[in-house]
Amino acid sequence: MEEFGLVISVVYQFGTNAAFLLLCALGLIVILGMMNIINLAHGELMMMGAYTASLSYQAGLPFPVCVAVSFLVVGFVGAVFERLVVRRFYGRELSALVVTWGISLLLSQGTLMVFGPFLPSIPIPGGSLDVGAYSLSVYWLILIAVSIAVVVALAWLYNRTTFGLHARATMQDAAMARALGVNTGRIYMLTFSLGAGLAGFSGALLAPTASIMPFMGQQFVAPAFITVVVGGAANVIAGAVGSSVLLSLVRTPVGFYLGAFLGLVALLLAALIIIRLMPNGVSAALLRWSDRRAQSG
Amino acid sequence: MKYLALLTGPEDIGQSRLFWIVFVLLVLNFVLGPLWMSEFEASNVSYYLLNLPMALGLCLLWGYCGVLSFGQVAYFGIAGYLYGIIAGNMRGDPWGPLLGEVGGLAACAVVSAIFGYFMFYARVQRWIVPILTLVLALLLETFLGQTAGYQWRVGSVQLGGYNGMTGIPWFQLGDFTFFGYSFYYYVVLLVLVSYLGCRALVNSHHGKVMLAMREDPLRTELLGYDIRARQLAVFVIAGVLAGLSGLLYVQWGNYITPSQLGLVQAALPVIWVAVGGRSKLLAVAISAYALNWITYSLSSAGNQYALVIIGGLLVVVMLFFPDGIVVTLARNMNRQALTRLLRRPGRS
Amino acid sequence: MSKRDSQTDVPQDATTPTTEDAGLSIGRRGFLAGSAAAVSAATVLPNLKTAKAQDGSPVKIGFIEDESGNLSVYGIQKLHAAQLAVKEINEGKTLKGGANIGTGGYGPLASYAANAPTISKEGVALDIVNAGGDMSGDATVFVEDDDVFVDSGDQGILGREVDLVSVDGQSNNALWQQLTRRLIQEDEVDVLVAGFASAEREAIRPIVDQFNQLYFYTNQYEGGVADANTFCTGPVCEQQVIPVVQYMVEKFGPRCYTIAADYNFGQLTAAWTKAFAPLVGGEIIGEEFVPLSVSEFSQVIARIQQAKPDWVMTLLVCQNHHNYYPQAAAAGLSYPMASTVNMAQGYEHKRFPPPSLNQMHNAIQYQLEVPTARNRAFVKRWMDMFPEDEYIGEMAQNTYFTVHMYAQAARLAGTTDQETVKRALELGWAIEAPEGAVFLEPGTHHCAHYIRLAVCDENHDVYFVREWPMIQAWWLQRLGVNLVRNPEYKQYVPDEDPFFSMFG
Repeated sequence: MEEFGLVISVVYQFGTNAAFLLLCALGLIVILGMMNIINLAHGELMMMGAYTASLSYQAGLPFPVCVAVSFLVVGFVGAVFERLVVRRFYGRELSALVVTWGISLLLSQGTLMVFGPFLPSIPIPGGSLDVGAYSLSVYWLILIAVSIAVVVALAWLYNRTTFGLHARATMQDAAMARALGVNTGRIYMLTFSLGAGLAGFSGALLAPTASIMPFMGQQFVAPAFITVVVGGAANVIAGAVGSSVLLSLVRTPVGFYLGAFLGLVALLLAALIIIRLMPNGVSAALLRWSDRRAQSG
Repeated sequence: MKYLALLTGPEDIGQSRLFWIVFVLLVLNFVLGPLWMSEFEASNVSYYLLNLPMALGLCLLWGYCGVLSFGQVAYFGIAGYLYGIIAGNMRGDPWGPLLGEVGGLAACAVVSAIFGYFMFYARVQRWIVPILTLVLALLLETFLGQTAGYQWRVGSVQLGGYNGMTGIPWFQLGDFTFFGYSFYYYVVLLVLVSYLGCRALVNSHHGKVMLAMREDPLRTELLGYDIRARQLAVFVIAGVLAGLSGLLYVQWGNYITPSQLGLVQAALPVIWVAVGGRSKLLAVAISAYALNWITYSLSSAGNQYALVIIGGLLVVVMLFFPDGIVVTLARNMNRQALTRLLRRPGRS
Repeated sequence: MSKRDSQTDVPQDATTPTTEDAGLSIGRRGFLAGSAAAVSAATVLPNLKTAKAQDGSPVKIGFIEDESGNLSVYGIQKLHAAQLAVKEINEGKTLKGGANIGTGGYGPLASYAANAPTISKEGVALDIVNAGGDMSGDATVFVEDDDVFVDSGDQGILGREVDLVSVDGQSNNALWQQLTRRLIQEDEVDVLVAGFASAEREAIRPIVDQFNQLYFYTNQYEGGVADANTFCTGPVCEQQVIPVVQYMVEKFGPRCYTIAADYNFGQLTAAWTKAFAPLVGGEIIGEEFVPLSVSEFSQVIARIQQAKPDWVMTLLVCQNHHNYYPQAAAAGLSYPMASTVNMAQGYEHKRFPPPSLNQMHNAIQYQLEVPTARNRAFVKRWMDMFPEDEYIGEMAQNTYFTVHMYAQAARLAGTTDQETVKRALELGWAIEAPEGAVFLEPGTHHCAHYIRLAVCDENHDVYFVREWPMIQAWWLQRLGVNLVRNPEYKQYVPDEDPFFSMFG
């Protein structure tokens, strides 16, 4: 029983680590991967998601509804940003980086001035499960399931729908897509809005596990970028899944047996090494591997 | 003459005689500054100036070479900490600080060479470089942040963890210690030398190759240039320049903390460069100086709007001056000057 | 006598300033320092009176805190505290208190000196001092006293208006250094009150020393600053760690697991916990340092579950680390917790939904809930001025009484000349702060505080189970620091004291 509990606990830790990385990265993947915009306001979009969730929770809405509201609200805010600001920076990734940094300063300090230093937290839904000497949080189990579901939904959206087709066409060659009658401006707006909405969605989901403060977004930025970069751009969704799994595989045992500090160091080192070995990210390596299999098979 | 041509070449703002007159006046203004500046103001100006080498290095790397590094603060920190360790251990030795400077800069060169080798020889995609460099900075920050214990002593100097390394010695040459006005002059001199050096570099043959790499790496390579080695060289130069800023910073404040290597600090050089306009060295120098000045002035006024104003400024500048505010202004001024010249033919 | 007993003899002398015996020995040292100061002051003071500054220009209090950015939640509280104190000073009000000539403990102007409960391995008979609400006043320690907010007989300081020169450090150390230089060199402030994070204090201390600026650091911190220009008015490790560890061992058992933020404050406070747990019969069965950027704690929680402690010492400070509490509660982790920072600084019990902080124990010197009449009066004055504020934390209260204490010292000195005010403060100073009587010990420039053990229940209501009316900041005294005689300008760390490796 003791051994069984240990195994379950380690698997659970692995799942939470991977789900955390994936949730942090979700919105960023869509924006960075599809539009090549380094969105430094990503953390602040997540913060807005958490704020929306907390405010609507206080207004008496049930938590799942709050999460949906956050998705919609932050998605709308993203669309507004795209129209007003980001639109002017396509093809100039690095200027976009500075602009989004400016936006992030505005959002976080503005939030501090409007809402004060804290909002009340949301109680974590679900209790805990006892497994031997260990106990697992039901909510994190739900988060793991939700992050898998979102990835599946995204894959479906981009591979099976007309929007997905148009979006992929626009990302590959905007001029050609336009020539074929795709409204690329609309696709950009929807993609950015989707990315922002997903950031808000993740922010709302992570809100019960965090203190809701104006600068809370900063904690998600570094893990998000590392996950996306390690994943690579060949196929962003597969890449992000691959990299969050790979990074958690390194982090979980090190963190559990050697402590949180070495766990973090292992994560960062693993990111460096993976990129050295697979310069185009995990996704490109996955793609090559599946190609090779298809050829030999 | 050949060297003068390097300075006045086309790859930076200002080729006219008028420009150089203004430039010399500006330098004179800094040189004579202490006549009307209090020691406190001189110290503040030193601080604005000492950030310039890091900004210039990043400008070379990003604006002229097309490679963005998000982790220049890593070299800033390496040089600062190493200077603190060497000079702190050789306290009392008149040449300790100089040795610390050499050691700090050498370490920057070595680390950036190794790290750059991994990146450029692996031919990682361009957009990954900023994140990789950022990860290096964050790794260093995390490591240094937990060095509070006594076991983290190098000789007699404690790394000091998150609270930072304190009591870093002033810069000293022999028995002459640089602080107050003398430190100010020392900063002005070094910043001027690094600016003119960068300017000469971009106007040299190597500079032309850098620009070619920025425009089209593949074509440049097909012309027979080893772009990996060239990128690496610029990366090392940028690292050493960031290290120079780090050195001046610890000599200015006698203090450094790991948060100097954190995410917030890491973004600052990128912002200075982008706001001024990354394609011109002088533009970057001006914006780095101005933004540091604005940051200080706003917080000195003691209100909560400082970050909002800076954030709004960034958005507005990038919206209306996407190539950078200084570059755009300079270009417009040139155009006006050009039209004026055209209206009065025969003056050639 | 067994080996173990003889071992505990030494530190008891040192660790337990509130026992009769030990209190005496410490008191004697403090007494010597105090009387030394008194003798020198007695010869200086009369001359000072005549040197009174009469120019009528305002007295400038330089003030730096983080009003924007990450740490602004604390900075704004502290700013409000300073504004409140300055307003009261200008209205001719003050807190009871005064120079403490010769007694080395509570001053002649302090209201009462209490009998302290004893700390020993067996614990104390005195438990549940107060279960919340009004106190009847017949308990051994707990006395409701009369109002300590009195007329100063002075408008401002020495008839001069007091001006608060407040600037925003933006949680940026380089900016802190620039602003410190500005306040000292340009504004020529008469006193500097500044600093939340220890990193900020260490950033500006070299500048403070360069100009011999009178400087107050008002935060709770890891301890060890021995600096002739710096007065630390917040509590330090020895005043908080030992009481809380002793209580936890007594109440829940010896096995303690420490999780601490991986930087100076966390590491040093963990070192204190480790060094002192054996003295009260506890043992540290696990110790983990969490980097400041970590915000997801499932692994830390699993490691704690693996170790099965009796209680957990949580020394987590930054906003990322606050996430530990809801995450641990959701994972079903129900060990009692102890801390020296939570609740009193970041009011986590008000921000997180219950029962995240259930069974949190903290030896605090002040937090909003302290159930005394003088504190209720203080909270009322505060809320009248800043009705929007959500909480008053310990560092805000420290800032408040510190500004009042400075005003009193300057009045006695008869001038705002900084060296003279420092000498006046080095008489030893007692002031009736909202927390209770605070005594500034001259030799170490640290304060003896009124410490209470606050417990958070499952509804996140706070009650107090034990009190120590005066615990000195004795560690620097033990190291032989006497800033009156030998000015120093450094920060000591526990590794410099062989004591810390003696028992662990």
